[in-house]
Amino acid sequence: MELRPALQIKSVIKAMVDVVLPAVDPHNKLAQEQARLVVGMLQLLARHLPLIYRYDRDELSGLLALANALQEQARNLPGIEGARHALVTSAEAGSDVLERARAEPGELEAANFDLRERVGALITEMYAANDFSSLKHVSETIAMHSREQLLRERAWLVSQGWESNPQALPAIEELISRAPGGW
Amino acid sequence: MNRIDKDRPTHDWIEQLRRRFPCEREIDRVLTRKLQRRAGPPYAPVSLETLVQGTEALIRSELNAPFEILEANWLSGGASKLQMAFKLKWHQPEVGPALTPMVLRMEPSESITETSRLREYQVIKAVEGYLPVPPTYWVDAEGRFLPYPAIVYGFAPGVAKPTASSSGVTGVGTFMPESVRAPLGAQYVEHLARLHTFDWRQARLDAFDKPASLTQALEWQLNRWERVWEEDINEDVPLMRLTMAWLRKNMPALDHVSLIHGDYRVGNFLFTEENNWISAWLDWELSYLGDRHEDLCWATKEAFGHLAEDGKTFLVGGLMPREEFFAAYEKSSGLSVCPATLRYYELFNNYKCVAICLATGCRATRNGKTHQDVLVAWLSGISYTLMDELRRQLEEVL
Repeated sequence: MELRPALQIKSVIKAMVDVVLPAVDPHNKLAQEQARLVVGMLQLLARHLPLIYRYDRDELSGLLALANALQEQARNLPGIEGARHALVTSAEAGSDVLERARAEPGELEAANFDLRERVGALITEMYAANDFSSLKHVSETIAMHSREQLLRERAWLVSQGWESNPQALPAIEELISRAPGGW
Repeated sequence: MNRIDKDRPTHDWIEQLRRRFPCEREIDRVLTRKLQRRAGPPYAPVSLETLVQGTEALIRSELNAPFEILEANWLSGGASKLQMAFKLKWHQPEVGPALTPMVLRMEPSESITETSRLREYQVIKAVEGYLPVPPTYWVDAEGRFLPYPAIVYGFAPGVAKPTASSSGVTGVGTFMPESVRAPLGAQYVEHLARLHTFDWRQARLDAFDKPASLTQALEWQLNRWERVWEEDINEDVPLMRLTMAWLRKNMPALDHVSLIHGDYRVGNFLFTEENNWISAWLDWELSYLGDRHEDLCWATKEAFGHLAEDGKTFLVGGLMPREEFFAAYEKSSGLSVCPATLRYYELFNNYKCVAICLATGCRATRNGKTHQDVLVAWLSGISYTLMDELRRQLEEVL
């Protein structure tokens, strides 16, 4: 998916700074202030977006350390058994989440990028070196993958209004909810 | 993330692309220039004053008599070029003192379609008097006078869509009311027939290479758009690779070399509403010498038309039924419409469109190279709908 939030935010900031802000009525102080705040907020968002996953994971790591320390220190204290037990249960669940949250979003993006490039190069070379009709099974495999991939991409952007029959598309939440390896 | 840093292309990589994808000389020049400039600064807003000064310098290089630029204003419209309207107070050759409304059309630093102002200037000059086009006055092909290459046109009267109609971004989905369909439809098909039978051999089109074989025009086009894909795409797309392989293996031979508009559709002509008369065909930047089926296929694309009131008859450009359009075209031009070649160009046009919107659109936006990145980024979203259409078309021919 090329139309990623980072690209979108960057283009919106540029439109605001280059075109919209200079055109806002200088006498309308409220509009001036809010237009500048929109730019500031978008710049903040652009900085935070690539870090938010790491930020959450780091926070979880810190909270787990605190939870583990507290539940140890509270082990023999009276009147807190219920709360301590609830914390232990949540800490176990949190540890499981942290264990599974190993890869960075950037690594996922890079792996997708790398595979797309390798697949593309192989396809070009295969069809350049072989008779097209002898690769019918390959063509079908690519077409089948494209069908599923494009369904996700179209559902991702359905609110832009390009689709002639948007109701026919499944919700993006439904399409991306499968477990890893679920294709 | 890129193995090749396409945002900072090396000389070797550029030369490798030029060797891999030979295309027309002028196309090669503008694509090479695009890559050589890419690592440079993003597009910076240009003031009207700068444009006026640059336009004055351009005109001064062509005119010896005094002149004055008046009432300069920004124009909107289109995703690829900046436009400034102005009036020129001058002594017009063979006319005398005049106050002529004009338009300056200038490239941004990198455009969603990287094209040649020289070709645009030449092709419009070539068909002037033969088809309705805006008068073209001067061209700054290399950006000697203005910040970027530009053309000065005469201002053409008319509207791109009926005043009461609605449409999406860049004219997609324009509704044509019944009252305009017959008069505009007749001109829509007649002008295309005239263009495709235009005697380009007699015209001054030295920025256009003439194909020497039955498939060379198409090979140049395939090379051009695959080169654009390679130059600009960030994430590769398997379907685009498969499509290009199919396009290369199934090239139809050319039976008649026509001058092709390259973006012939509703939204790219102006008409005067008082008499429903097409006053000017615009946006010639993608024109080339090649197969008429590209224009025929583009002109009849579903995205640029709509259904009639019966809810089932598709109207080409919202103007006339498809069969009627092709029959009128054949009658008017004396050229045949081949369904298999039309089908081929359906795939070709979608490939080209995705290369423009997804590859170039996103690359230009990523590097902040246009005057309206937000519009270009928005437009790139159509790529996936187009690609799904391409997938369906491809599955039918595989």
